[in-house]
Amino acid sequence: MASHGISRGSGSVVRSEEARQKEQQQIEAYKDLSDLVNTKIAEKQYTVEVLGLVTKLLHENPEYYTIWNHRRRVLVALVTEETQSPDELLQGDLQLTFVLLRKFPKCYWIWNQRDWLLQKAESLLGADAAQELWAGELQLVNKMLHADSRNFHAWGYRRIVVSKIERLGSSTTDSADTSSSLAQSEFDYTTKMIKTNLSNFSAWHNRSQLIPRILRERNADAEARRAFLASELGLICEAINTDPFDQSIWFYHQYLMSTISPSCPPNGFVVEDLTNGERQKYYENEMEYIKEILEDERDCKWIYEGLLGLAEAYLEVDAGTGAVTTKDMRAWLAELKRLDALRRGRWEDLEKRLQL
Amino acid sequence: MSLVSGPGRAGVGNMPAEMQLFVDKHVRYIQSLDTRKDELEYWLTEHLRLNGLYWGLTALHLLGHPDALPRNEILDFLCSCLHDNGGFGAAPGHDAHMLYTVSAVQILATLDAFGEFEERVKDGRQKVGKFIADLQDSETGTFAGDEWGERDTRFLYGALNALSLMGLLDLVDVAKAVQHVHSCANFDGGYGTSPGAESHSGQVFTCVGALTIAGRLDLVDQERLGAWLSERQLKNGGLNGRPEKQEDVCYSWWVMSSMAMLGKLHWIDGEKLTQFILQCQDPELGGLADRPGDMVDVFHTVFGIAGLSLLKYPGLEEVDPIYCMPRSVTRRCLGK
Repeated sequence: MASHGISRGSGSVVRSEEARQKEQQQIEAYKDLSDLVNTKIAEKQYTVEVLGLVTKLLHENPEYYTIWNHRRRVLVALVTEETQSPDELLQGDLQLTFVLLRKFPKCYWIWNQRDWLLQKAESLLGADAAQELWAGELQLVNKMLHADSRNFHAWGYRRIVVSKIERLGSSTTDSADTSSSLAQSEFDYTTKMIKTNLSNFSAWHNRSQLIPRILRERNADAEARRAFLASELGLICEAINTDPFDQSIWFYHQYLMSTISPSCPPNGFVVEDLTNGERQKYYENEMEYIKEILEDERDCKWIYEGLLGLAEAYLEVDAGTGAVTTKDMRAWLAELKRLDALRRGRWEDLEKRLQL
Repeated sequence: MSLVSGPGRAGVGNMPAEMQLFVDKHVRYIQSLDTRKDELEYWLTEHLRLNGLYWGLTALHLLGHPDALPRNEILDFLCSCLHDNGGFGAAPGHDAHMLYTVSAVQILATLDAFGEFEERVKDGRQKVGKFIADLQDSETGTFAGDEWGERDTRFLYGALNALSLMGLLDLVDVAKAVQHVHSCANFDGGYGTSPGAESHSGQVFTCVGALTIAGRLDLVDQERLGAWLSERQLKNGGLNGRPEKQEDVCYSWWVMSSMAMLGKLHWIDGEKLTQFILQCQDPELGGLADRPGDMVDVFHTVFGIAGLSLLKYPGLEEVDPIYCMPRSVTRRCLGK
């Protein structure tokens, strides 16, 4: 879309005559190829030869979205005319998009072509073949996320792939049938990604999406759900202790706390039958743990923000135990103002909202 | 309009203490963009031409130089991108797509040229409106980008943006679109490309923008989202798009416009952000880059300048945070 992160360096902007001429030749060659493809397509010459030209042009410019549309036009025609086996065409395109994705991992149109291909394959080759193809896509996504663990497109495509595999694997239309669910293995994948890099919020996010599902699928009872929450809290508290300055971790902590809140939407609960007394206990434990970290990290603003968030949640369910005092909250807010001047306006609003 | 980056590069270190916006340089930079046909990049970025025209034109309006590009040539070019089905492609011969159709409508609105468009194309607005409306998925309420079916909250926002500017929102099921946006909300208050997708500032802009146009900001968890957005600001004053990512001038727009719609712009440090944006200028040849020292381009130029406008940088025209267009233009189109 635009030049991201390309350093100009300190070289001269003026091109030599030789470089200029070379660029002219490149422009002519590119324009010739592009004109040729557009002419052939306008003439509806949907042939294997034109497909080759399209491939060449896409290698030069994968952002040229119209050419991807042309490619699909040609592919559909070739399949309809039965001049080429669908499988062969499909393999060719999977290869092309794979090579291009490695070079241009953030190009929307390439991901889009991949999705289109697989959907077409499903209608042409049948469910069994499609199942295998989509399973192969998981391998591709793994590779892409190995290269860049935050790639937004790859995570989005991963969710599409998983839902396709689950749908195709499901032998019945009964939504209670969870035999084909990948929720648990996807959850395990987020664990693996987080263990490699605690800062990977994309993985934390996906984890938060999977939790309600795996608990449902396990038919987890009240006790199992409490054990699950305890284990997630253990994981995140360890992460906080490792790097309390990383915001990905704190956002996941906020997520877990939000599932405890009485205002959590029912489909988001981890534990379904929490009493306010239990909620208080969770909030108290978290505050206690975070205060321990505070002793070594007095200048970490996330700690004070975490404490204030917990205090606010605590007060919502408090029956007057007085475990959280206004004095504490004022002190934490003062630290936030001291440490986080960038967001001073936010802390002032918070002060008013909490009537501190 | 060229999307070619450079030739300028953003200032490196040692900016003068007094932070200056090089208005004339930026105007000349944008004017020069269509003269770079001897660069391969000019041809490789043809698929963005109509977007580029909207970015350049908007930047010029905000800089107070609305007439710096030839109006008639813009309209000629724009009409040469129109397809029979009412959609616009990026350039002549490029397929119709939502992304360029929205840019075309924004350009027509900015130039106050809907009348002339109707003279050139009979029932022009209705045709364009129909192209957009036909891309709505009647089942989920979301929108596709084109006939090939890619769906994304970017396209949904674009549809509501363009239709509202033309007064044609009633062509689509706004309530259903709103429902879809709401289903993309995450626990952190942000929004992704589709239900279940990670929050991303660009997507937050499109979703909050769509809800604002639909008059349904009440659906937004404003405290949480405001907090999440404010955490996009890094120590150097710049904004990033997601937790633990690098800063980039274009997020000055996606993050700040969302905060402006929520009335929470004061939750970040405007002065530091102003300094960061200004450091991304090329003080000699004009234009802005993603970060200090990088190549400039018109995309970062408009979003940097629009960001400065939200920050009330002196001398700039007021920008509308919902549309990324001059506020005077949206006031004229929307009557409010």
